[in-house]
Amino acid sequence: MLALIEIKRRKLQFGLVTGVVALISYLIIMVTGLGLGLNEQAGTGLLSLNGDHLAYASNANLSVIRSRLTEEHVADIQAAPGVQQGTPVGYIAVVVEYAPDESNTAATLGVIPGSFAEPAVVEGRQLSAPDEVLVDRAWVRLAETGIGETLPLPVGFETRDFTVVGVVDQGYFFFQPTVYVSLEDWQGLAYQGDLAGRPAASIVLLQGDGIDSMRGEGWEVVTKQEGFRNIEGVAAQQSTVNALRYMGLLIGTLVIGVFFYVITLQKVSLLGILKAIGAPGTFLVTQGLLQVFLVALSGALISVVLALVTEATLLSSDTVPIAFNTRALVTSSGFVVIGGMVGAALSVRQVATIDPIIAMQQQ
Amino acid sequence: MGILTLRDVSKSFGDGPHRVDAVRGVSLNIGRGEMVSLVGPSGSGKSTLLAMVGGLLTPTSGEVLVDGADVAQFGGRERTRYRRDRVGFVFQGSNMVPFLTARENLLLVAQFGGADKGALKRRADELLEELELMPVANQLATQLSGGERQRVAIARALMRDPVLILVDEPTASLNTELGERVVDALAAEVSGRNKACLMVTHDERMAARADRLIEFRDGRILNDDRLDEGAASG
Repeated sequence: MLALIEIKRRKLQFGLVTGVVALISYLIIMVTGLGLGLNEQAGTGLLSLNGDHLAYASNANLSVIRSRLTEEHVADIQAAPGVQQGTPVGYIAVVVEYAPDESNTAATLGVIPGSFAEPAVVEGRQLSAPDEVLVDRAWVRLAETGIGETLPLPVGFETRDFTVVGVVDQGYFFFQPTVYVSLEDWQGLAYQGDLAGRPAASIVLLQGDGIDSMRGEGWEVVTKQEGFRNIEGVAAQQSTVNALRYMGLLIGTLVIGVFFYVITLQKVSLLGILKAIGAPGTFLVTQGLLQVFLVALSGALISVVLALVTEATLLSSDTVPIAFNTRALVTSSGFVVIGGMVGAALSVRQVATIDPIIAMQQQ
Repeated sequence: MGILTLRDVSKSFGDGPHRVDAVRGVSLNIGRGEMVSLVGPSGSGKSTLLAMVGGLLTPTSGEVLVDGADVAQFGGRERTRYRRDRVGFVFQGSNMVPFLTARENLLLVAQFGGADKGALKRRADELLEELELMPVANQLATQLSGGERQRVAIARALMRDPVLILVDEPTASLNTELGERVVDALAAEVSGRNKACLMVTHDERMAARADRLIEFRDGRILNDDRLDEGAASG
């Protein structure tokens, strides 16, 4: 097979071409990964809640921070038609001093222990008593805390020690790693003193059918995705990230397409010789595309490996938000391969139609 | 009718005041077992004529008949098959695929389809043997000497057992001894296998080894002489 022999015999040349493709592909994948990482930190804590809809106070403009629901609201929402299950969830951001001179903000979510809002633990056990906390893996890495250790959460000007009983894999909310306490404890953290007449929850997590855009007196329901998009700054951030991503894909694909277009055109004299000695057009096109496919695919695979190594490195350092999913990796590397193939197809088509004698004279 | 018949073949390039008439109304006939030298000054239209016969250029007018079929009328696929199966072209400068070995350059034509690969492998060995290329069969084309490359080019042209062999300046980059060996190898193939050969050359000594000598000037045949002791027949 001519295409394979050329790759084998011109290792340095094809190695360099593969390297360039890998770097461009890596750039595209990294932009995507950084964008996904930002999105993840913006609200995976919300997205990974085990429900499909969220109910907010109608004056909160779909903001979890501003939403305050009374006990009557919660009861009203739970009893609304189409709602199969509903459980209140509280939110407050607290600064946790997990070591002397070491602190970080925690997105603290209050849930009713045993309800479907309480995330499943990956280590330890579920909440069962007051002053217990479930922490996200990110907290474990950040505060180097573990099961049985205490996490001091501020209550007014004081701090109260909560015991870590479980580790969850729920991610971030508002760019802060999540921790989960009982709804009762959340009320204590959010509203000190007499709790009578204080909000009973920030939002209500719902499971149900036909409840999209349902409204009641003082509350409204949206899908979880809609709730995510309405997290402060997320819509603008997503637009920026998506613009970067799509521009990266477009420019990267074009660069790789043009790159292979030029590389294939440089072979015009060789293709002229082959044509002159009777190579059919299909042979030239097949060999040209096969070669580009192999090089582009190798470059894309190398870039995926590089990106995953980078992800692991960045995640272990907890400094740069980054995340990949299979779809993002397949889409990004797929564009690279397709861009290369299209560029090569255009030039091979052009070469296949020129006179072999003219092609050979370009040697 | 011979293997190759040209009837009033012309080829022009460009239009209007920039028009160049490279070949003007050429007619000739080459029979089986005949080796014909085509000589003439640079720019006289020899290579253009050869390219038209080889199906690399289309004549502006006239007929190029090979075994009775008009090459000028061939469509794309027929033309490709013609170049692959009916005609063997030895280009000026040999035009090897540089990253292939001598043997792989011969076997390249096996990848174009339309022939038994096993038979082509045997044919490649036969030609490498005949043209004394066995010692360099596994060397890359870029590692071969000029003479070796030229002989590989001839072997490649003969791989599919074409009825017509077209050769453009086969000895341009060779010394006299090597040049003679190359032309003798061609002549042996033509006479031994009853083919026809049209060879463009500037070298009078090589031209004299053919059966016929055609002198070409300004796109026309000036003289067409039969030589008494052509290499092909002798």
